[in-house]
Amino acid sequence: MRTLLTLVRKDLIGFLRNRAALTLTFVVPIALIFIFGQVFGLNRKDSGPTGIRLAVVNASSEPAAAKLVDALRAEKSFRVITEFINPDQSRRPLTEDDARAQIRDRQLRFAVVIPHDLIAENEFGLHLKILSDPRNEIETQLVNGLLQKTIFSNVPELLGQSLQARAKKFLGDDSLKRFNGTVATAVASAFGGDAAEIQRRIESGDLGLGTLSSTGKPAPKAADPSLRTLAAPPSTPANADGEKKPVDDIFSRLVRIEKEQVVGKDVKSPDATRVIGGQAMMFLLFALSGSAAAFFDEKNSGIFQRLLASPVTRAHLLWSRFIYGVVVGLVQLVVLFFAGQLMFGVDVLGHLGLLLVVSTAAAAACTAFGMFIAAFTPNAQAASGLATLLVLTMSATGGAWFPTALMPEFMQTIGKFTLVYWSMEGFAQVLWAGQSLVQILPTIGILAGIAATVMSLAVWRLNRSKLFE
Amino acid sequence: MLQLRSVTKRYGPLVALDDVSLDIARGEFFGLLGPNGAGKSTLMSLVAGLRTPDAGTLTLDGAALSTRDAATRSALGLVPQSIALYEQLTAEQNLRIFGELYGLRGAELRTRVDEALTAAQLTDRRRDAVRTFSGGMQRRLNLVASLLHRPKLLLCDEPTVGVDPQSRNAIFEYLERRNREGLTIIYSTHYMEEATRLCSRIGIIDHGRIHALGPLDELLTRLPFEEEITFAASPDTAALTAELAAHGETATLNGTNRFRPRADFKLSAFYALAEQHRLPPRLFTQQRPTLEAVFLHLTGRSLRE
Repeated sequence: MRTLLTLVRKDLIGFLRNRAALTLTFVVPIALIFIFGQVFGLNRKDSGPTGIRLAVVNASSEPAAAKLVDALRAEKSFRVITEFINPDQSRRPLTEDDARAQIRDRQLRFAVVIPHDLIAENEFGLHLKILSDPRNEIETQLVNGLLQKTIFSNVPELLGQSLQARAKKFLGDDSLKRFNGTVATAVASAFGGDAAEIQRRIESGDLGLGTLSSTGKPAPKAADPSLRTLAAPPSTPANADGEKKPVDDIFSRLVRIEKEQVVGKDVKSPDATRVIGGQAMMFLLFALSGSAAAFFDEKNSGIFQRLLASPVTRAHLLWSRFIYGVVVGLVQLVVLFFAGQLMFGVDVLGHLGLLLVVSTAAAAACTAFGMFIAAFTPNAQAASGLATLLVLTMSATGGAWFPTALMPEFMQTIGKFTLVYWSMEGFAQVLWAGQSLVQILPTIGILAGIAATVMSLAVWRLNRSKLFE
Repeated sequence: MLQLRSVTKRYGPLVALDDVSLDIARGEFFGLLGPNGAGKSTLMSLVAGLRTPDAGTLTLDGAALSTRDAATRSALGLVPQSIALYEQLTAEQNLRIFGELYGLRGAELRTRVDEALTAAQLTDRRRDAVRTFSGGMQRRLNLVASLLHRPKLLLCDEPTVGVDPQSRNAIFEYLERRNREGLTIIYSTHYMEEATRLCSRIGIIDHGRIHALGPLDELLTRLPFEEEITFAASPDTAALTAELAAHGETATLNGTNRFRPRADFKLSAFYALAEQHRLPPRLFTQQRPTLEAVFLHLTGRSLRE
């Protein structure tokens, strides 16, 4: 028994002294549990996405339209934008063209347009428009569901106004007023209440249907059974295929929602870009971190001594490793995207030039990251532990595993500091949005900036480390 | 050829080299003998340009070794202590890469690679990955890779660590041949047998200081005795051993007594004393002292401590 305990103690001491093993055993899983917990809303009062930028264009003068905007503002998943900020910082109401342009420029992915004919005199029902960039299918379905929930929660009042508008056209002002008065008197005598107040509510379109439904009280016999269900969200989820077609249920006849996919109309497999790009980035980071960790093998084997005793300089060693990393990374990314073309029909050939530009920038940033790991760790084991921790957390928060929109806002902000996020952005800009070189330049600039900054730190540190002695 | 003047190197509070001055002549086979941690590798790394001294100067044919000009670098060859080869590459690929880094190209590079493979007795394994080689084969390749560019000065930093006797002998013979051809060699080791066999001049280094410098015979003259006598430790020899303590240094190790007489105690007096104790001369072995004895005498500790 004593022998067993001695051997166990030996293993425990070794384990506790191995920082890489400790990191992989405790820190990495805790970090991932935290990230997944945030995504799935564990330990939060309100689960689901938060802070999704949603443009709302209100071209209608109806009071109910303003109420719909307020309802969208109240939805915590959305950060509603209703104004366009001019270069001189002056503001004006957002237009449909503004929203469409901002979606094309990838400043936002969703917009709701409340047109001037939200309530038309010549037809009964409502007319709304949703513009989208459905690059992440999960996110798009979530947003569509939330939008419909919010819209249909406000439908009864809007429909009431629509009904009043149609009746006004056919009956004229006076006849409608008389009709409303008759109905209000009948309701007041049957159910009680102030007839004048009931008439005012009828005229404002407030038929009380939402209240009836939401409180679960039995519907009045006089009410149309089909209208009673209007306050409930639709059971059929929104169609995200981008075509302009109405929701295929009873509401589509009452609430006509036009859907327009502004970006990526020709892309066959919307999620393939994110899946391929995410996995490619994660494994590229692992590969290049491992390659940079090979620095330690070359030091331990004495190869650095041999090379540095020759005309080879430290700068040669560092930059040759950087170039090697970029070349390997570029080839890996291109091969994986071509695999994506074969498996999911991603159009790689059609965007090859710009894809190479983004992939080169991404590979440079990943290589710099690998060098950074090697520079700031004392040995290969520590480098491996730190690389695993950083690669997995960067991949998770940067959107390689799931859309960043599913995470809380603070994590989305953290994600924007990762090279994974900007690489994924670049891939989506090229393969999904089909943007031009000029349009992707900011993203390339950010990736190049990350590469330059991280590489500078790595070179500075490596030149002062004992790696080359 | 190589000059070190008042060279000092510190690692934090540790003084790895302390005011070392040294001259190495062209064609010399210079041995640097000392235990682990004595400062041998630090001195080698300073000469190789891998580190810079905190004080003092190092020059090779008048050029400062701190500069990294290609001519100075190409004048040096370094055989690191470990196997400094790319294991996944073949022997030939390794040699080609190291040759190219020294500016060798084309037919010249091919010829040098062939010569190196022949010298390392690896011609028939030239296309095999280095990781498949035995330790001895890797050591031989490690050595010839440092000579591809034909340096003037070869730095060998304990190049036979972990090598079997046969490969060690092959390495010795190769180095001796190259030295006869004019190559200057600095050879660091903690094996006195290697220094004794190979080196025309030896520097004894310990705690960062060179304690003695010269050919082996000259170093041996620093000892206060010329011969040492060993004999079995037994009850019969106990009285003699006790008496010898008054005439020199005695020690018992693994059942053997060792007696190192003082300079004024003649061997004839020793044998007369033995005869008085009725011990025949055949019980005694008389031998010249080794570098080990010199090291012990100069530093007060063993080479293998």
